[in-house]
Amino acid sequence: MRVVIAEDDALLREGLVLLLGTEGIEVAAAADNPADFLAAVSAQRPDAVIVDVRLPPSFTDEGLRAAVEARRLVPGLPVLVLSAYVEDSYASDLLGDGTGGVGYLLKERVGKVATFLDALHQVIAGGTVLDPEVVTQLMVRRRADDPIRTLTPRERDVLSLMAEGRTNSGIAEELTVSEPAVSKHIGNIFTKLGLPPSDAGHRRVLAVLAYLRA
Amino acid sequence: MRDRVLAVWRAGVFLLAGAFTGLVSLFAAPFLLVLALVARPAATRLLDVAVAYERRRVAAYTGRAIPEAAEPNAWRHGAWFVLHALTGTVVGLLGVSLPGAALNAVLVPLYWWIVPEDDPVASPYPVTSWTGAAFMPLIAVGYAVATVWVTPWLARTQTRWARSLLSPAAGARLAERVAELTASRAAALEAHGAELRRIERDLHDDTQNRIVAVAMHLGIVERALRRDPAAALPLVLKAQDAASDALAGLRGVVRSIYPPVLAERGLDGAIAGLIARSAVPTTLTVTGLGRAPAAVESAAYFVVAEALTNVAKHSGADHCEVRLSGLDPLVIEVRDDGHGGADEAGGTGLAGIRRRVAAFDGVTSIDSPPGGPTVLRVELPCGS
Repeated sequence: MRVVIAEDDALLREGLVLLLGTEGIEVAAAADNPADFLAAVSAQRPDAVIVDVRLPPSFTDEGLRAAVEARRLVPGLPVLVLSAYVEDSYASDLLGDGTGGVGYLLKERVGKVATFLDALHQVIAGGTVLDPEVVTQLMVRRRADDPIRTLTPRERDVLSLMAEGRTNSGIAEELTVSEPAVSKHIGNIFTKLGLPPSDAGHRRVLAVLAYLRA
Repeated sequence: MRDRVLAVWRAGVFLLAGAFTGLVSLFAAPFLLVLALVARPAATRLLDVAVAYERRRVAAYTGRAIPEAAEPNAWRHGAWFVLHALTGTVVGLLGVSLPGAALNAVLVPLYWWIVPEDDPVASPYPVTSWTGAAFMPLIAVGYAVATVWVTPWLARTQTRWARSLLSPAAGARLAERVAELTASRAAALEAHGAELRRIERDLHDDTQNRIVAVAMHLGIVERALRRDPAAALPLVLKAQDAASDALAGLRGVVRSIYPPVLAERGLDGAIAGLIARSAVPTTLTVTGLGRAPAAVESAAYFVVAEALTNVAKHSGADHCEVRLSGLDPLVIEVRDDGHGGADEAGGTGLAGIRRRVAAFDGVTSIDSPPGGPTVLRVELPCGS
């Protein structure tokens, strides 16, 4: 597995290279600015990219824009974005094209190596992984007519975990319920959010999107 | 006495010019009035020429410019023009004729007998005998005394009229002052916002990254301990270093927000403390320094602290000099006798100074030729 990294902070960049290297993930290139990063993406065609939201020159959202641009260069390129703080509009920007393979995590999540690697793998598998912090933030800001308000508390828990990129079995484990029960909740969520029956993977992304856009 | 004569002379010259422009205005007034009816912009332009000349004339005489409105009021300008056309010549000639009469009165005893008898000198009475002429010097003194009072007074009156009609109306002046204050308040808020963004950036891009690095290295350590405990040690040390860096960075950010020493000892006292701790022998010169807003003093303190750190780390200097001066802008100069060649891209120090100063709309300049000396100069506006 090969990844390209965009991180301007030298210590973090080296740390990421070390971390991924010891876990058997090859870092094909590690850039400290958007231009080098995009050049590396074109040249290396990695399996995934890991991008810091704040990159030079202005340290606002250059990394995010670079990630969106990388996905334009290589459609469907799995992107894992690391951010210093939660900003749900960032997540909407990334998920805007309605396809999966996107992750949005707070930077400190790299400390929990197992979870971080899990997220990376989910993203590469085409899943959507949102930081629990993003999910919490999205949960509190809901309009009155939002279909998500029609969900039961349990269904919302399931949707939150879906947004974090968990699989059905992962959700079942977290909520200590059976897998068929989770499937039933997910079916209810799809119905309540008015998502057409199609392949389950894509519907999961759409559900998360509905969640984000409300 | 000399001053009086000079004052009368200046007033006379001023009034003579006024008499001339008044006369021109009188003849031009009907033409200007017709022009105003058929082609108003052209009339306004012509009026502006006359007004501009009058402003110069009054400013040169009084040494004080007439304040100009951002939006000139054509009615007030027109009113001045009519007033000047009607009075300029009379007032001017009156002012000039008084000293003329005084001079004449002195000279009458010398020439009255040449003048034909049926049309004698008559100022203020017909002089037809030596007795009559003998009183003339006395009359001259009277004229002179009148001149000393009246001529400057006439000139002053003319400038007062011009000043009151050509200055912006009271309402307009107030509106301009409000606009000025609004702009300076907006600039102050802007500076405050820039300062908050700087603090946010320092915390997120520096301190937080250090702490993330700690977490990340501990994460790698955790994995290593499970597999190969011996490989964990250097990573633990790295995590420890990153934690120390994070703490140092946090202290730096807090100090950059507001160093407590500023409140206790003022800017000069705080900087004297910095200099006492400086590794390179440094002298401090403070001239005309007052209290500046806390944020500005804090930035000034930061600039000097960073500059001294740079000098100690990179310059190789034997001596350094810090100068603080001025109320607004506050000027900071740090000069060292090191080897020069300071490179802004090289470290974060100079870039940090520039960023901090830019937040206050200040100016940073660095002059550091190879071989030295290096001079850092910073101007910080104090927002007044």
